[in-house]
Amino acid sequence: MLSCKGLVAHSSDYIDGQLGVRQRWSMRMHLAMCVNCRRFIKQMRLSQAVLRQLPRGQHAELDEIADKLAELRRQQR
Amino acid sequence: MLRCKQARLLSVRAGLEAIVTMPVNDAELLPRLRAGEQKAYRELVATYQGAMRAVAFAIVGSRNADEVVQDAWLAVVRSLDGFQARSSLKTWLLTITANTAKTRLKGNRREVLLDDIPSPHGSVGDERFRADGHWFLAPHAWHHDSPEALLSEDELRECLEKTLASLSELQSSVLQLREREGLALEEICNLLQVSLSNVRVLLHRARLKVFATLEHFEETGQC
Repeated sequence: MLSCKGLVAHSSDYIDGQLGVRQRWSMRMHLAMCVNCRRFIKQMRLSQAVLRQLPRGQHAELDEIADKLAELRRQQR
Repeated sequence: MLRCKQARLLSVRAGLEAIVTMPVNDAELLPRLRAGEQKAYRELVATYQGAMRAVAFAIVGSRNADEVVQDAWLAVVRSLDGFQARSSLKTWLLTITANTAKTRLKGNRREVLLDDIPSPHGSVGDERFRADGHWFLAPHAWHHDSPEALLSEDELRECLEKTLASLSELQSSVLQLREREGLALEEICNLLQVSLSNVRVLLHRARLKVFATLEHFEETGQC
């Protein structure tokens, strides 16, 4: 029987779909019975979403790089 | 366990599929890039510079990452005519970046350090569990239940930046490539030449540190 500690240890593999059928099944069985672990997985997924939406630094220099590359390309043709 | 070599076969298959289903965006962008259209380059750089930098950062470290990305961009412009669209534009750009970075290293590959650098708010360690493996300090419900609500807190954003800055170069890149750039684990291990199991370990530990940061903020209201 998978423990809460074991579930946490495999949580990323679970989220990334890296587990085999049996392991995935035992994770799901555990999650069906354990409110704490369900909350943990939910909060891990929320943490992922936060990272995805964390604003990216907007750099004016990116446009500058792009403009130079475009110019270089036009020179090559 | 799936090693990177097996994973490579999967990405070859993914590459073949890409021929049939080339992303619409690539098909639209390519002719404009070849024509040297300024707006197309702005789109390209804005979309991919972050991922390219993460790849370079992981391989050569922070000191040389910017230079590697610059060299990679030059190589991209030079090689545009040869790009056959067998892979997505993204995969092609990141492969060029990884190759440029590896050339820079000239064989002095750094060791993959799995030893964890401590992060400001720790992780989810053994102390959270009883001897029988059940939770000792179980997670509490959070006040914020959406990413938007969490990110509306300025202090939390700063706090998160600190945690991300505390990660090793490799770990930080793996996390960014997976969570922000949406790369498959197999793509990450191929690009960075790290085994799939090491990528999984690095990613898991990084995620636990991010989790611990959010949890700390939710419980104390401060960083």
